[in-house]
Amino acid sequence: MSTPANRDPRVDQAALSDQDLVDLHEKQLGRHPDDGARYRLLPIGILFTLSALILFSGTYLNRYTGHYSASIFDENAKPTTGAPVAVKLDPVAVGRKAYGEVCITCHQPTGTGVVGVYPPLAGSEWVNGPSSRVVRIVLYGLKGDIHVEGHVFNAAAMPVFGKVANSAYNWNDAKIAAVLTYVRQEWGNKAAEVSADEVTAVRTATGDRKEMSEAELEQVK
Amino acid sequence: MSTRPEYTPIDAASRWPLLLLLVKGIGWLVVAGILSLTASIQLHTPGFLSGCPLFTYGRTAAMAETAFVYGWLGNAGLALALWTLGRLAGEPLRAQSWALGGAVFWNLAVFGAVVGIAVGDATGFELLGLPRYVHLLMFFSYASVAVSGLLAWSGRLRQVSYASQWYAAAALFLFPWILSIAHVMLFTAPVRGVLQPIVAGWYAQSAWTLWLAPLALGAAYYVVPRVTGRVLPSYEFAALGFWCLIFVGGLTGGRHLLGGPVPAWIPSLAVVSCALLLFHTFIVLLNLRGAFTGSGTALKFISFGLAAYVLGALADALTSLHGVALHTQFTYFDEAQKQLALYGAASTLLIGAIYFALPRITGKAWFSAGLVRAHLVLTVVGILLLLVSLLGAHAVQSQGLLDAAVPFADIVRDSRPWLLAASFAQMILLFGSIAFLANFYTTACEILLVSEPAVFQAPAAQETHAA
Repeated sequence: MSTPANRDPRVDQAALSDQDLVDLHEKQLGRHPDDGARYRLLPIGILFTLSALILFSGTYLNRYTGHYSASIFDENAKPTTGAPVAVKLDPVAVGRKAYGEVCITCHQPTGTGVVGVYPPLAGSEWVNGPSSRVVRIVLYGLKGDIHVEGHVFNAAAMPVFGKVANSAYNWNDAKIAAVLTYVRQEWGNKAAEVSADEVTAVRTATGDRKEMSEAELEQVK
Repeated sequence: MSTRPEYTPIDAASRWPLLLLLVKGIGWLVVAGILSLTASIQLHTPGFLSGCPLFTYGRTAAMAETAFVYGWLGNAGLALALWTLGRLAGEPLRAQSWALGGAVFWNLAVFGAVVGIAVGDATGFELLGLPRYVHLLMFFSYASVAVSGLLAWSGRLRQVSYASQWYAAAALFLFPWILSIAHVMLFTAPVRGVLQPIVAGWYAQSAWTLWLAPLALGAAYYVVPRVTGRVLPSYEFAALGFWCLIFVGGLTGGRHLLGGPVPAWIPSLAVVSCALLLFHTFIVLLNLRGAFTGSGTALKFISFGLAAYVLGALADALTSLHGVALHTQFTYFDEAQKQLALYGAASTLLIGAIYFALPRITGKAWFSAGLVRAHLVLTVVGILLLLVSLLGAHAVQSQGLLDAAVPFADIVRDSRPWLLAASFAQMILLFGSIAFLANFYTTACEILLVSEPAVFQAPAAQETHAA
């Protein structure tokens, strides 16, 4: 069995017929790799390579698959055990974000409002007063005159934010509580935080209604 | 040494479907070359053909890919799969009309796909730019050609089988499978949202690992021992390498989704699969390493293709790692990797096998030795230049894109010389393909002109027991 020189590039000579090709390779398969109890070097090398790759694969899969969870997108996420822990959000941070997206347009970054049009929040007796009143203002909106720090404001209406009829924003109770907490503790205000449960309680007790007025608010204790 | 190829009655009986598939395949190779050159020029000279909507970049690139993968690799791979399965079965091909009819309709489908993309019906999925209306035709025409190959497989004279047969038969089964899955999940009943890129990535990768790679490897496993005359070293592990590819190959699709909005385990599984696939590559390299020392045209192409295959697998494994992907994802490195696999590995393996096969199918030696040499030199130089220029463009991009201070226009300007070089490489490859087509056409015409080709008796030293 010799390898042809193949000097003519136009045709390659074959050194093995089809029949021999199949037969000789079949014979090769029949040979046991440890003929004579001598392991040849190559099979051990192949075994070693495969084992190394499997070791790498197993380690990698264990470390970087997030336990095959459909909701883990970061392969570096630390594996957790048991039920997933609900993430605790800082209400002040949530409130600051919501304030920055919406309220800031009228009440201004400094919470001072605009003289004669939008009432101030910083130092306001309403903001620092009972939480039951501010909850209703944000939840249902406010229309008509309102006295803040001795000035009357009536040029603009406070929109409806809560999950109630005719709402302009449909904010959930937790978001309303968060923005109130933020407003009541920013710009030198020092009122207590507002809980989402309190907002829920007011909303379920009152149901749908039109915007609040100053007179109605003053009846709320 | 006689220059007469060992021409057997088996090949005489089954040559028409094979010649049809081969001539169509090489024709598509030239078409794909022209389209790739156009697309490549448009990357550095955006005004080129921009007035003609049929040939804007998005379409020429998709047309070039379709013509190359389904036209050239599909046809040539099918021809060699049928040929090796028929030769190893020891019988003339059965169901030849199925193969002929399938070949005609397959090429109609590819033509319809290329025209469909030109008029704007491309789907936008990688390697599946085919407009949806040709999918069914492709499925059934491929299956029709495959009937002939599978009959040769199941009707083989001896019970034992050889590695070429495994790879070829697997490719015949697997392509209709992956195409139908992708068609159902992306078009008939499209999955939603993030599932779509997962399915598309799976298809793009499986078309390579489960269809094109087995077709090319089946041909290489057949040619290498026949030319060298030696039993493949470590052949007892070939089956392990084969099953490794079949099991792991389809799982590597997630490597396209690194950093994407998919559950972390999908890219991680792909990283691991790319690494495990190295085992398959290692076995293939061990088995076929005789190609590097053998002589003849076929083995020159095959050894180049084998080197590209190994290099491509290493590149796949390395770039699937997050740290490396940071520098290689979304740059020309992706394109270089694709060219390395599709042109460097699959194409050259198939071309080598065609150089070995055609004299046996037609009973004639290749028409021109000069064209054979020219094709070899142009292919090797073209692929190397293409890879180097794409890597150069990649280096410019990856440095620039990671540095926020570098304006995007500068990156485009600095990568332009490299893209010019890439266009030049595409031109060299196109000339090589034209030389290949011309040589093939004249050789094939020789047998059309004589009514009854002379049947050569194979040299005794070759066809009788050689061991």
